[in-house]
Amino acid sequence: MTTELLIAIIVTVVGASTPILIAALGELVVEKSGVLNLGVEGMMLIGAITAFVVTFTTGNHYLAILCAAGAGIAASMIFGFLTLSLSANQTATGLALTIFGTGFSALAGQGYSARPVTLLGPLFPGEMATHPIWRVLFGYSALVYFSLIMVVVVWFFLKKTRAGLILRAVGENDHSAHSIGYSVIGVRFAAVAFGGAMAGIAGACFPLLLTPQWAERMTAGRGWIAVALVVFASWKPFRLLAGAYLFGLVMTMELYSKAGGGPLAAIPAELWAAMPYLATIVVLVLISIRRDASSNAPACLGRPFLPSN
Amino acid sequence: MMQFRLEKRREPSKAVLYAAPLIAVLLTMFFGAIIFSAIGYDGVGAVREIFLTPLTNSLKWQDLAVKASPLIIIGVGLSIAYRANVWNIGAEGQYIMGALAATWVALSTHGMTGFWILPAMMIAGVLGGAAFAAIPAFFKTRLNVNEILTSLMLTYASVQLIYYLVRAPWKDPMGMGFPQTRRFAADALLPNIIPQTIVHAGIPIAIIVALVAWFIMSRSVFGYQMKVVGAAPHAARYGGFSEKKTIWLALLVSGGLAGFAGMLEVAGPFQRMVPGFPTNYGFTAIIVAFLGRLNPLGVIFAGIIMAITFVGGEIAQTTIGLPSAASGIFQSMMLFFLLAGDILVRYRLRRVASQEEARA
Repeated sequence: MTTELLIAIIVTVVGASTPILIAALGELVVEKSGVLNLGVEGMMLIGAITAFVVTFTTGNHYLAILCAAGAGIAASMIFGFLTLSLSANQTATGLALTIFGTGFSALAGQGYSARPVTLLGPLFPGEMATHPIWRVLFGYSALVYFSLIMVVVVWFFLKKTRAGLILRAVGENDHSAHSIGYSVIGVRFAAVAFGGAMAGIAGACFPLLLTPQWAERMTAGRGWIAVALVVFASWKPFRLLAGAYLFGLVMTMELYSKAGGGPLAAIPAELWAAMPYLATIVVLVLISIRRDASSNAPACLGRPFLPSN
Repeated sequence: MMQFRLEKRREPSKAVLYAAPLIAVLLTMFFGAIIFSAIGYDGVGAVREIFLTPLTNSLKWQDLAVKASPLIIIGVGLSIAYRANVWNIGAEGQYIMGALAATWVALSTHGMTGFWILPAMMIAGVLGGAAFAAIPAFFKTRLNVNEILTSLMLTYASVQLIYYLVRAPWKDPMGMGFPQTRRFAADALLPNIIPQTIVHAGIPIAIIVALVAWFIMSRSVFGYQMKVVGAAPHAARYGGFSEKKTIWLALLVSGGLAGFAGMLEVAGPFQRMVPGFPTNYGFTAIIVAFLGRLNPLGVIFAGIIMAITFVGGEIAQTTIGLPSAASGIFQSMMLFFLLAGDILVRYRLRRVASQEEARA
């Protein structure tokens, strides 16, 4: 394998991993606060169409990312209102949000399919990435660096800040947190909004980082893989990073197996396409064999909170 | 200042429980009209075409029946699983695997005749769906792997399996290169029950499935076990009901019914396996199950309502140019309103004096 090919593989894997990583970081914070939002896939689709439309009409990629984050927050507030204010069933509401996001993005994207936009270019000037080795470090768009910075930010926030401690307290024991004066619902709303913003930005990665166009359901279940990844990472940001890159590798293996020849090239394209989903199941199973995966889950995950007094 | 507080009802309100789906539909019509007007469509027209035209135009009734039957069959299965707190959301994949198993029977009996072919396809369909649902059941009961994620991931994989089968091993040799199987022989097709229409035998079957399921859920130990394990797992354990057995039953029954619906679709409207077979019925049936209050009889009505929005969505597409995605928006809005309304089933809104008033 040549250095060129290896570098090409790394760059593709990083790109494919980025949306999953961003969405999963958002969901990790949400789940740490004790809320299970299964609407990630729907919020990502809403973010994707928002980013596409804004890029298509204004040509401004950064505005598109901001708007995608805003759209993700707006969608997450539907979920927040139903589950936190009205204590509706979180599983059902999350599913409803995904169904809504699929329909909404298809409606808003009507007439935009097969129209191209330009991808978001590399953050650093081209001279810094002329040598192939430097391309691995400096050849990406801002979204990639954002995802990596957010891994550290989320870890630091949860582990080292007072606000992070409160958020974890709310997720581990909502009634105690409430009784010492913290607003359980307020903290959870903030977490859900953060998750929405991250899912929206993750959606923006699809038209801005991966394929410069809009297609219905273009996230193709990546939001669900992000949810699974949070379990895989047992709610730890750095493990999330490793997991997301593992999945990026599985997703891009097809491209290079065909080029590389050998036994891998004989695998039908459909099996390659199914691989990320099958890998998700395998990973969830392996994690559970190793130890009881739920033992590390926030204690109040998925439970509605109503103050008793 | 006036304040409101939620107070838990001692018993869930039966009246609100059954009124909520109706209120959700009405609110969806009202807000749907406003939202679609706001984004530049004829909002009132959209609601009229989606909710009323399918009912007033008798030519559309057969479409309603054809669309409602898979939704009812899958929805019945899901409502049983959700009652037991088993979150099977991979019904779409189980529906696909049931159809593929039935297709396998149809293709391997091609050239044969006999009344037994259709029943054999039905059995294959049920087994195919149940076997696919057994995977999440196995992982859930053995290793406590979340069934939501496994059943959903399997759905994505099953779609790829269709693509592979119709492109290579099952491809119709006479199909002029189209990736699809050959058309099923006459004995592998569901009979029409009303001549000159598209109304096939799957429609009365769907009603029978719902009635049988209702009887079982309300009158048998099986139904009682499902409900107790779902509502009060601790009590169920003391009562001697095994949680693992319940998870298995819930997934096998819901997967088997989804597979059965897949068989009826492939042997009915489709008549062959095509890449476009995944029609989202498995996902829409999630809304059907909730709108039907997880009650098989309610699911019949919910299935019809959801079929109305599908058929109405198609009408609105041709008459007022509403995009097909609109019906999905109406369907999810219905679920939002229903979930929001559920709080009034469990809680009562009480007006309370604020602290200042209390002090005064």
